[in-house]
Amino acid sequence: MRILRSVRHKACADGSFMKEFLLDGPVTAAFFAYLADFGEVEALPGLGEGFYRFERADWFSIRGMAGDTTVEVRFNRPAMDLTMDFVYALFGLYRDGDPDLAVLKRREQALAERVGKRLHGA
Amino acid sequence: MEPHRPIIYLNNAATTWPKPPEVHEAVNRCLALPPFGSGRTTGTQGEDYITLAREALAGFLGAGPPEHVVFTQNATDSLNLLIQGFLAANGDGCHVLTTALEHNSVLRPLRELERQGRIQLTILPFEDGTVSPATVEAAIRPETRLAVMTHASNVLGSVQDVRAIGRVLEDRGVYFVVDGAQAAGHIPVDLRTLPIDAYAFTGHKALFGIPGTGGFWIRDPEAVAPVRFGGTGSSSCTLLHPRGMPERFEAGTHNYPGLAALAAGAGFVRATGPGAIAAKAERQAAFLVGELRQEPNVVVYNDRPGLPIIAFTVRGMEHEDVGFVLARAYGIVSRTGIHCAPLVHRAIDGGVGCVRLSLSWFTTDDECACAARAVREIARNADPQVGTA
Repeated sequence: MRILRSVRHKACADGSFMKEFLLDGPVTAAFFAYLADFGEVEALPGLGEGFYRFERADWFSIRGMAGDTTVEVRFNRPAMDLTMDFVYALFGLYRDGDPDLAVLKRREQALAERVGKRLHGA
Repeated sequence: MEPHRPIIYLNNAATTWPKPPEVHEAVNRCLALPPFGSGRTTGTQGEDYITLAREALAGFLGAGPPEHVVFTQNATDSLNLLIQGFLAANGDGCHVLTTALEHNSVLRPLRELERQGRIQLTILPFEDGTVSPATVEAAIRPETRLAVMTHASNVLGSVQDVRAIGRVLEDRGVYFVVDGAQAAGHIPVDLRTLPIDAYAFTGHKALFGIPGTGGFWIRDPEAVAPVRFGGTGSSSCTLLHPRGMPERFEAGTHNYPGLAALAAGAGFVRATGPGAIAAKAERQAAFLVGELRQEPNVVVYNDRPGLPIIAFTVRGMEHEDVGFVLARAYGIVSRTGIHCAPLVHRAIDGGVGCVRLSLSWFTTDDECACAARAVREIARNADPQVGTA
């Protein structure tokens, strides 16, 4: 899944940063099921074609409606410089519903150590 | 150019949209001709938009001499000039009153002065969306010199009784600055009859101007010292900034197209009638509140807003999720978060934030009905077990 365009917004409540991604295709329930490998996914399937929110505590969250080509990503600011590349990888490596989970899991593990150290000193 | 898809714009408390056709025309006309400068060689065909805007605002606000209307970038800019200028004229060390209903445009300048040890600050609590005159009176100390408060909350839409509060402050010799960012254009304001010393406004909300314009009215300019200096196009041979009005508070080139828009916007509001605008807003806000209140999963924070601002949350959903679904599934633009008013949210929702729908004269009854249906549908699909509002 390719990110065609990203627009950066400020989120006033907590100082986090939000990016709106325009994708080359619509997100699906299957895409959010894939994201569940890396964090929590909440779904409200009765809203439109389905509302989904992925949350990786301390890292970022992703909101999207199934069938929509736009998603919102909110970054936890203190870790944003570390985690942004991983967000792009989550989208970029999801090709035709067949992502390379092994690659992503290795990156996730390495990143978890760095984020943990920065945010919690462990 | 039309938006790429139909939208229902309910974020008018941030910036109104659409603007009246008169505003578009005024900006185009302003940009099409060379800037007008009285006594200058810059041309004679253009309009003097600055004077036109000053007269329009003075007439609209019942402000008396147009020269006592000062133009700035926005309400935040106005409030900073008034607060900093009051201290510059009266010295540090006084006690200042404000309220928990304020926007950060008031809270941050005052908190910064308190942090610097230049003022003592008391933030008054509110009840049912308003601060009572008795609460204000009880907080006044011998050293209280300044009170800064909003005319209407940008979260709750509640309108403050600035007349009664102003009387209390006037009796005790406290200088009273009112933030009219939300109220001006929504409700009739007659500054001649109000016991207020200065009134800040912004151009891009209910006055239907464009962003980058605002101003304030001041009764006695001597009470506030200028804190900005520079070119005024007058008294240019002296190195000291002129003290006459309105140059006392204005330095540098004005925002000509912005002020042309503001004059046209204020003219539109005046021609439409502030009473008619307020009546329609009240009817539509009551409809929306009534609809939302029928949904057990929806918490509405003010049942009787004086401005068409409806603040709510949906049990079981984060406010940002509600805003996202409204936008992406229904094409409804709302505003989520804490609306730059952190103390209001601490009081009503623990500081978490909420969803705000805000209407303008151009909001239709159909749009209100669509918004009500959308929120109710979202609330029915939310899982109240996930979290509490």
